[in-house]
Amino acid sequence: MSLVQLSLATGFLLILLGLYGALTNRDIIRMIVSFTIADTGVNVVLVAVGYLPGREAPILDTIPVAEAASRITDPVPQALVLTAIVIGLGVTALMLAYAYRLFRARGSLDISEFTELKW
Amino acid sequence: MVSPLLILAAGLGAAFLLGLLRDSSERMAFYLTVIALGFMSFVGLSWTVSLALGEAQPVEIYTAGARPPFAINLRMGLPEAALTSVVTLTGLLSAVFMRRDLMRLGRRAMAVLMVLIMALSGLIMTRDLFNLFVFIELIVIASAGLVLLSQDTRALGAGFKYLIVSQVISILLLVGVIFTYHANGSLNIDDIAATPMGFTGASLAIFLVLIALVLELKPFPANGWALDIYEAAHPGFSALFSAASGSAALFAVLKLFEAAGPDWAPLATGIGLVTFVGANILALAQDHDRRLLGYSSVGQIGLVLMVVGYGYDWDAGLYYVAGGLLISHAIAKAGLFWLSGLVKARKLSDWAALRQNPALVVAFATFIAMLTGLPPFPAFYAKWTLVHAMADYGDYPLIAIFLIAALIEAAVLFRWFGMAIKREAIRPLAYNLSHETVVLIAMTAGWALSFVWGAISGLDNLVTLVPLLFALLFLPLDILPARIKNVIAIAGLVLWFFLSKDGLDPLRLIFLTIMVLGGALLLLASFHAKGRRMGFYTPAMLMFAGMALLVTAETSFQFFAAWEFLTVGSYFLILRGHDSEPHALSYITFSLGGAFALLAGFAVASEGQFVIPLANLSEVAPEIAPYVFVLLAIGFLTKTAIMGLHIWLPGAHAEAETDVSPMVSGILLKAGLFGLFVLLMEMGRQELYGVDLTVLLVWLGAISAFIGAVLAAFQEDAKRLLAYSSISQMGYAVFGLALMNHLGWLLAMMFAINHFVYKSMLFLAVGGVKERTHTKLMYKMGGLITLMPYSFVSVLVGIIAMSGVPPLSGFGGRWIFYNAIMSTDLRLPMILIFMAGPVGFLYLFRLIHTIFLGQPKDELRKVKEAPFWIILPQMIFVAFLIAFAALPGMVLQRVDGYIGTLFGDRPLVWTGRIIDSQYGTWNPVAIWGVIIVVFVTVLLLLVWMNHNAQHVKQFNIVFSAERPFKPQTTHFAWNFFAPYRKAMGFLEMPVSTSFWTGVSNALHGTAEFSRKFYTGNGQTYAVQLMLFVVAVYLISMGASS
Amino acid sequence: MTAFPNFEWVQIAYALLTLFIVINYGMVMTAVVRKIGARVGGRYGIPVWQNYVDLLKNIALRSKISHGVMYYLGPVFRLTGGVGLLMFVPTIYGSEWHQNFSYAGDLILALYFVFFGTLGMALGAGESGHPHSAIGVSRGLAQVTMAELPLALGVYALSLQYGTLDITKIVAAQQGSIFNWTLFTNPLATVAAMVAFVGTMMRSPFDVAMAPQEIPIGPPTEYHSSYLALMQTNRVLFPVAKTVIYMNLFFGGATSWAEFAIKVFCLYMISVVIGVVHPRFRVEQSIRFFLKWGLPLGVLAILTV
Repeated sequence: MSLVQLSLATGFLLILLGLYGALTNRDIIRMIVSFTIADTGVNVVLVAVGYLPGREAPILDTIPVAEAASRITDPVPQALVLTAIVIGLGVTALMLAYAYRLFRARGSLDISEFTELKW
Repeated sequence: MVSPLLILAAGLGAAFLLGLLRDSSERMAFYLTVIALGFMSFVGLSWTVSLALGEAQPVEIYTAGARPPFAINLRMGLPEAALTSVVTLTGLLSAVFMRRDLMRLGRRAMAVLMVLIMALSGLIMTRDLFNLFVFIELIVIASAGLVLLSQDTRALGAGFKYLIVSQVISILLLVGVIFTYHANGSLNIDDIAATPMGFTGASLAIFLVLIALVLELKPFPANGWALDIYEAAHPGFSALFSAASGSAALFAVLKLFEAAGPDWAPLATGIGLVTFVGANILALAQDHDRRLLGYSSVGQIGLVLMVVGYGYDWDAGLYYVAGGLLISHAIAKAGLFWLSGLVKARKLSDWAALRQNPALVVAFATFIAMLTGLPPFPAFYAKWTLVHAMADYGDYPLIAIFLIAALIEAAVLFRWFGMAIKREAIRPLAYNLSHETVVLIAMTAGWALSFVWGAISGLDNLVTLVPLLFALLFLPLDILPARIKNVIAIAGLVLWFFLSKDGLDPLRLIFLTIMVLGGALLLLASFHAKGRRMGFYTPAMLMFAGMALLVTAETSFQFFAAWEFLTVGSYFLILRGHDSEPHALSYITFSLGGAFALLAGFAVASEGQFVIPLANLSEVAPEIAPYVFVLLAIGFLTKTAIMGLHIWLPGAHAEAETDVSPMVSGILLKAGLFGLFVLLMEMGRQELYGVDLTVLLVWLGAISAFIGAVLAAFQEDAKRLLAYSSISQMGYAVFGLALMNHLGWLLAMMFAINHFVYKSMLFLAVGGVKERTHTKLMYKMGGLITLMPYSFVSVLVGIIAMSGVPPLSGFGGRWIFYNAIMSTDLRLPMILIFMAGPVGFLYLFRLIHTIFLGQPKDELRKVKEAPFWIILPQMIFVAFLIAFAALPGMVLQRVDGYIGTLFGDRPLVWTGRIIDSQYGTWNPVAIWGVIIVVFVTVLLLLVWMNHNAQHVKQFNIVFSAERPFKPQTTHFAWNFFAPYRKAMGFLEMPVSTSFWTGVSNALHGTAEFSRKFYTGNGQTYAVQLMLFVVAVYLISMGASS
Repeated sequence: MTAFPNFEWVQIAYALLTLFIVINYGMVMTAVVRKIGARVGGRYGIPVWQNYVDLLKNIALRSKISHGVMYYLGPVFRLTGGVGLLMFVPTIYGSEWHQNFSYAGDLILALYFVFFGTLGMALGAGESGHPHSAIGVSRGLAQVTMAELPLALGVYALSLQYGTLDITKIVAAQQGSIFNWTLFTNPLATVAAMVAFVGTMMRSPFDVAMAPQEIPIGPPTEYHSSYLALMQTNRVLFPVAKTVIYMNLFFGGATSWAEFAIKVFCLYMISVVIGVVHPRFRVEQSIRFFLKWGLPLGVLAILTV
């Protein structure tokens, strides 16, 4: 099993774990944590897909620009991961803020108690 | 031109600037927000205008000085420009609308709003897949932030559910994006290779991207989370969420589907169609306004998604159709959400508060018309084009599903409108000038875009039609007193008649006369109305405009547009009646159903064209012609209320106002008859599965004529009696037409004229009686002959004419009828017609007897004759009836000649005043002469013998050896035909009503059952979402392999 | 006057003569029929001039009241209906004198004009305010809806058979031999029409509209004096006028007053004979009767032409 395959597998496992956690735990905080796990899994997958074996990190300080195209690994996924992490952070923060306000409003963090809107 | 990037820059810049402001300077922050949004709108609009006028070319914007795939690029073409305009303008208006709440929450909320608008614009313009993801996430964060604007604490839960679902979507999207990148080596959407469906990695990747984006559109049934937002969020935000977010997400989906290749298009079509159907059915069960709007939004977006999939290769056509639907949705939905901000309580019926402000009612009507695709709004053109395209591809089941769902949607919306017009508001309007301004701007935009869509349609531009403009003129004129408006209306109708009468064949001329001049005549009765009578003249004139245009229509499109005008106008008119809410709803539902059948019929007939001259109906290919015939016939028969499709009529006609009943009965029904004339004239006999369809029509006409009459005889309500009688009379006319011979057509024409005259007269007379007695129940009246002699005379003449007793004009109809059936091979349907004739006596006698004869009631002893203006047209009709009975040739001879040119025969010979047929003679003047001479002689004889008869008082009779003293027990009126009911009462079984009630209940039941699916639990929604994804994947892969 | 082809004033005199003969014939015949009925029942019966006596008595009555305009006009409508019907139908075939004003229309005119008097009478009776009048009208109208159906179907069959709606032409086609009568050329149509004939002659079993025991005399309850005189005139005139139509359509018409007298009497007696041996039907019973017997016959008639 190559490193790429291993990390892909890990990534997807994390995603599934995270989703499973998010969909089975009723506690909002646990759900949020589960989502961050799933996010991490996605990030691992992103990196794994962009990884080219034997290449270096795309940091042009250490690699001459002329050789860059042949020596560095694909920089795009790495950029994507960075962005995705930032966004994930934002969303997680927002969810936590919501969790806080939900708790303030209802004194509970059980998702199944916020079903007054339906049908 | 200003760089489109400035839209994004302005949004972001303003958001940052807002962050720098002090917390206390909300007012300044708000102005900054508005200025920034205004600037963004300006940029979007200026690009739209320049691109549309061809003054600018679409531009690609490269960021970071590199071309893709090394950098992100954006595009500004006409669709992008138009959509950014929609988004930014909605943002601007919503900002104004949410002013108070934005100020309350301060600059941060405004910054979030700026980010939302910026991200939506970015989503529209970007051509980069990952950039798309970023914008979507920004939208999620901003939306979740803005949900908190609402003061409704339940919004918290809704927002959190939204975040949960968004997390799942973003996981799907990201995984899809990275593998798509892996497969294509680029994140640029234009570099994505068309991918076939299949169990390959690339295929799965593109599927994930597509489905993630589709999920952003809240497809049915994975959309509970979105509905909660619609329900709980601030209406200003909901407007954005529906109009702006929906449009932007849809455009993103469109971009990706274009890139993914034609294999994926059915996915969009399928999901779109399921969503459109499902959302509309579920909307049936809603009584919460914003949730209903939510369902409607979901449905509309689903519809556009369907179009995106269906028309992926239409190029400009796709943008025209999808754009027409989307723009109508955006404006109407934003407008409705804003309106909901003016209504304090959340039940549908609470919208009755809008009636405090007529301008808002007009806006409400406009938005609903836009959503239901009524002319002249963009969605109307879009729907027309779409159905024609579907017919061209031969996707008939798709047409059926689409039109049925559209009909359900119309029923949902018009039910709501009906409640707003007829119910009583519990809480007053939360009036706010800026809110109203925002709503009215949306309405104006709707009308303006109607002009644009009409201008580029390649069809007629409906907004510029003079009759329509004339009808709309009465909106501003509504502040004038009713009488002045009435004069203008009558003058307009008469003028239009003389402008358009030239060049029409005699048949059309008669219809035009009935519809336009007849309308003017009936409007005389409207002089009776006092005060302003707001909201009467626009619908009335809209209806007359439709009819005037219908008669002069030359193409299928003109005909259909006119049909919709008259349908809508008459709906608003009928809705004005006191207890007409449910009846108006059933009227509009049936009428639109009929109209959709017409649409489908024209579409099938057009064979790849988008419009055909009506005359071309005769050239439809023989293998599809019968189907065209059936569809068009259903449309027209709905209007003439043939038995089975008639259940809307009695209520609609009976509950309408005094002067409206004759209009919708005497005049409007003729529209269906005119349609049948045109249909039969162009298409002639058609056979389907060996059945001659005209024979079927003969039977339908005969059944209506008979059952309509029987039902009329059993009514206690005078106006309902007349309404059922109309069903019967129209049955005769349909019967005559379907005989497909010269005399049959003349018979139908005779019925058209006669029915107009005597039904208008009778409805006016009965209406006049109702004005005085305040009841329509005949058994509550009695003995009114001395109190209302003129009304009595007009009813007397009316019923003699209608029953066919010589010498009045009804007899002419019977005479032509007998001659017509002599020259046809059909025998059996005649039995029903023969049975219908005498039954007519039952209801007619009952009408005159129980109202005018018998014993006057104590409480009605002082009633006065009906008002002058209601009597006047009746007396004109009486004079006409007598003249027409004596000299039928003055009208009929030319029609007879014209029909002769169609059939190539001359069965009638007109010598002087005598009409001869192959079989017999009709000499109206001689009949009059004999009858008058005998009558006068006998009368003189009686007067000579009996001149000293003493007039006695009411109870001077002996009844069971007692002198009665109570009219209530002496006036034999209630259940007047009890013996007949014993014998024939089984015909009263409400078969059609049960059937249609069953259909309606089944739909409502489905809706009630399915809504249980929406448990309100965010986790459940997320699970549903994932199951949806898996199901769609399996189905689509299964379908492709 | 183009509407009155070959009009001469003498036609009015001819028409009045027809009217005079028919009224007197009706007066005597209805009295004779009553007398026969009485004799069959073992009673002595009325003298044959009784109708004249009644008429004079009614005209001479001094107490005269009116319930209103329609009430006043009811008998006028009624008698106009009877006289008009006679005027629109040729009475004696081949006789120039007794064609009346049949050029005004054809069979359809006659069939629809039958209702003129009924309607006017019903309106007049209605204004009297007497519930029995209204009940009688309600019953009569309900019954007539079905009773007229076999006639309509029979007439339809017949006009298809002869290819014309012109009564004179129909009579002409039946001349020559008794087997040229519609009775023999189209027995189904004839029987169907005769069902209707019996059903509309206001005799038992179809006389529920006037039902003396239940609703004194139905619609005319409140009529008296000269009103009743007019109606009485009509009551002798109208059945004859109606029978003339049947005679013309189905029984070869009449070429002389003698033939007329015999045929009308025989046809009239059909309803009388049926009447004396049958008890009265209720409305729904008679409707069912017509549906069960009249309608199928009529349908057969129009299908077999």
